Amino acid sequence: MSRRRLLLAAAVAGGSAAAFVGLVLLAGASPADALTALGEGSLGSPAALGETLTRATSLVLLALGAVVAFRSGVLNIGLEGQFLMGASAAAAVGPALAAAPLSARLALLFAAAAAGALATAPAVWLAERRGVPPVLSTILLNLVAAAAVTWLVRGPLKDPGADYPQSRPLAAAVRLAPLLDGGRTTAAFPVALLLAVAVAAVLERTPVGLKLRAAGASPAAARAMGLDDTALRAGAFLASGALAGLAGGFEVLAVTGRLFDPFSSGVGYLGIAAALLGGTGAGGATGAALFFAALGAGSGAMQRDTGVPSAIAAVVPGLLVLAVLLASRRLRPEPP
Amino acid sequence: MSGFAEIAILLAAPLVLAAAGELVLERSGSIQIGAEGTMLIGAFAAFSAGRAGAGPGAALVLGILAGAASGAVFALVAIAGRTDPILVGTAWNLVAFGATAFAYRLVAGATGSVLEVATLPRSLFGLPAAVTLAFLLPLVLHVGIARTRAGLRLVAAGETPDALHAQGISVVAVRSGASLFAGAAAGAGGAILVVTVSPTFVEGMTAGRGFLALALVVFSRWRPLWLIPASLLIGGATALQFRLQAAGSTAIPWAFFVALPGLLALLALAVSPGRGGAPKALGAPAP
Repeated sequence: MSRRRLLLAAAVAGGSAAAFVGLVLLAGASPADALTALGEGSLGSPAALGETLTRATSLVLLALGAVVAFRSGVLNIGLEGQFLMGASAAAAVGPALAAAPLSARLALLFAAAAAGALATAPAVWLAERRGVPPVLSTILLNLVAAAAVTWLVRGPLKDPGADYPQSRPLAAAVRLAPLLDGGRTTAAFPVALLLAVAVAAVLERTPVGLKLRAAGASPAAARAMGLDDTALRAGAFLASGALAGLAGGFEVLAVTGRLFDPFSSGVGYLGIAAALLGGTGAGGATGAALFFAALGAGSGAMQRDTGVPSAIAAVVPGLLVLAVLLASRRLRPEPP
Repeated sequence: MSGFAEIAILLAAPLVLAAAGELVLERSGSIQIGAEGTMLIGAFAAFSAGRAGAGPGAALVLGILAGAASGAVFALVAIAGRTDPILVGTAWNLVAFGATAFAYRLVAGATGSVLEVATLPRSLFGLPAAVTLAFLLPLVLHVGIARTRAGLRLVAAGETPDALHAQGISVVAVRSGASLFAGAAAGAGGAILVVTVSPTFVEGMTAGRGFLALALVVFSRWRPLWLIPASLLIGGATALQFRLQAAGSTAIPWAFFVALPGLLALLALAVSPGRGGAPKALGAPAP
C-alpha cells in the first residue's frame, strides 16, 4: 500500500469516526455507550454475529457484482433490480423443488444467477448497439424490476393461503439451515467469501481479468491491442448481473424463504457503496461489505439501547463514499 | 375541477419540478441520480418548517433552499471536484435517506403518531398557485434554453464542453449553476408533496419519484415541453391506480402503472437515434 493510499485510508477512517460521533452527540447520547451498543449488536454474541454475517452475504455478492462491472468500465447501477430479479426467479422455481435438497438448491441458485444476468440484457444491448449510457438504462430497469416484484407477489407467484401479498414458501428441506445449532449463519456466507476469492483471482491473475481491466481502463487502447472490447464489456455486465441475481437467490434460499413486496430497501445501492469504499477490488469490497453489514446489524441494538436512530447505518456509508471519491478523485474511464 | 384530474395534477407536480431541474443539469453535461435524495431533503425541510409553525408557502420556500444547498454540495463534490457524478449520486441517496430518517426520528421520537402540517390554499382552477407555476417551468425552460445566452452556454457545456472552455468560459461554473437550479427544483418537488397531497413526513416518502423524474427526462429526450404531458401521464396513471385499488378492481394489474414510466423511457431510448438523444458530454468531467 502506497503512502498516499495509507494517508487516504486514515483520513477516511478519521472522517467517518468524526461523522459518527457528531451524529451520536446530535441524538443526545454518549459516543462510548453508542459504540458499545453497536459492537454488542453486531459482534458481541453468536446471535449478533449471525445477524451481521446474514446481512453480509448478499452485500458481499452485490459488491462483487459492482467490482466486476466497474473494473471493466461498465457503470452498472442496476444491481438493485438484478438482485430483485434473482430473488423473483428463486421464489418462482423454489416452491416446485422438493426432492433432493442439494440439486434443488443448485437449480434455484442457477435460476437466480441466470435471471440476474438476463436482467442486464436490455442495458447491454442499449449500451453496445445504441450507445446509451448504462446508468440511464439500469436506473430505468430498477424501476421496472421493482414493479415486477409488486406484480409477481400479487399475481402469478401469490401464495393463495396467505392474506398478505407474498409468494409461496420454499420447502423446509430445501431452505438452508444454520451451520451451528442456535446460530443464524448458513453455508451462504462461506460461499459468498469463496466467490470473493474467485472474483479476485479471475480479475487479478488470469488473462480474462487482464483483458477486462484493459477494456475498463481504456476501450480505445484495448481495441488497439486487438481485444474485442464490446464482448468484454458485455460479458462483465452479464457476470455482474449474475452475481447480483445470486445475491437475491441466496436471500430467498437462506433468509426469507419467499418473495414479498418491497423485497429490498436499496441493498443494491449499498453494494455499490461497498465496492467504492473498497477501492473497486474484490478484497476491499468484501471488507467494506462486512463493515456495512455490521453497522446495519449493530445500529438496531444502538437505537434500542441509546436512542440513536438506526438510520445512521445509511448515513455513514454514504458519507464515507463521498469522502473516498473526493479524496481519490477517481475519474471514470473514457467513454468508448 | 373534478377529483380525478385534480389528484392527477397534484401527483404530477413533484415530478415535473424534479424532472425540469434534472433536465437542466443533464443538458449541462452532468447528471444527478441522487434527485430522489434531494427530494427527500426538500420534503423533510418543508415538514420541519411546518412543524415549527411556518405557513405552507414558507415551508415550500425552505424546501427549495434545502434543495439548492443539496445542489451546492453536488456541485462541489461532483462538478468542481471532478469526481464521477453517478457515484456521487449513489452515495447522495444513501446520505439523504439516512439523514432525513435520522432527523425525523429525533424530531418525532418513537411515538409513531402522524404529525400533520398545513397545506397550500387553492386558487386558480381549484389548484394551489405553486402547482400551476410548476407546470409553467418547462415552458420557461423551453424558451430560456433556446433563446438566452445562459441557455446556449448550458447546451454548449453539455454538447461541446471543450469548445466552451476554449472560449474562456468555465464549464464548472455553468454546470454548478445548473446543479443549484436542479437541487432547488428537486427540493421544491419534495416540498410540494408535503404542502399538497401528503402533509407529513415518512421515511423514504418520495417513494422513487426522484428516479421517475430521471425516467421522464429520458422519455422526453431532454426536451422541456415534453415533460408536461409525460408527467401528467404518470400522475394520471398513479391517480388511476389509486382509484382502481380503492374500488378493489384487478382488471389491470396495477403494477403495470408502476412499471409504465420505466418501460416508456426504455422504449424511447431504444427507438431514438444517437444515444437516445442524450447530451454528448453527459457524465464526462469538465475540461
